[in-house]
Amino acid sequence: MMEFYETDEDKLGFRQVPPLLADLLRQIPRWGEGDCEIAEERLFPAPSSDLDEETLCDDWKAFVQPELHELFQSARQTVSSDLRALVEEEDTFALEFPMAHAEAWLSALNQSRLALAAQHGFEEEELSQTGPLEIVDERGLALLQINFYAAIQQWLVEVLDD
Amino acid sequence: MATEIEEQTSSRTRDEVNKPWQVVVHNDPINLMSYVSRVFRKVFGFSRDKAETHMLEVHHHGRSIVWSGEREKAEFFVQQLHSYLLLATIERGQ
Repeated sequence: MMEFYETDEDKLGFRQVPPLLADLLRQIPRWGEGDCEIAEERLFPAPSSDLDEETLCDDWKAFVQPELHELFQSARQTVSSDLRALVEEEDTFALEFPMAHAEAWLSALNQSRLALAAQHGFEEEELSQTGPLEIVDERGLALLQINFYAAIQQWLVEVLDD
Repeated sequence: MATEIEEQTSSRTRDEVNKPWQVVVHNDPINLMSYVSRVFRKVFGFSRDKAETHMLEVHHHGRSIVWSGEREKAEFFVQQLHSYLLLATIERGQ
């Protein structure tokens, strides 16, 4: 059973990570990269739905979205760098990273979950289903991925709130 | 008469300008409730109770007005919320 833990040296970690979940961890930085238009729309929403606010929306695209792109990319790079420390221990994997990187992890996990959900068009009902998942296709794997990342996010929010 | 119309127009324009702008957060099924609540505390400095009240309003009613005031500041808050990947828009106050 995979474990999440904190150390006395301000580090966070995962241990006994099964190979499938280790592979999903490695994929965290990949999904927010913005090679899918529908995901891009969700990651960079318009600041207004009012048709009179065309100028605001244009300015947003020109000035705000590039800053957000940089911010999101920086978070993904931090996670990518942390993931290089993922090590194999017998049949499972383990990883430790600085607690100071928790915000970057929250962002990268959120980017991935939003991008995956947008790409696969998941509805609220599907996302909130409980019980074991059937991974019979790419969509099932994406749902597992979204839920796995949500579990890590939930843990990080609890750690940061302490 | 002309003066009266000018005054009315001027007064209406002033009212429009002075009308507070609202920052509205919209529901999405992906962002975790605990995460949304945490973002409200970080961005607006809300207490835990106030943050949860707004988060639950978003969850149950699809949207919540989380701040209202000057337009420039409203735009700043929307940018902050987008940086946390929440769905937020600026709207003119009713």
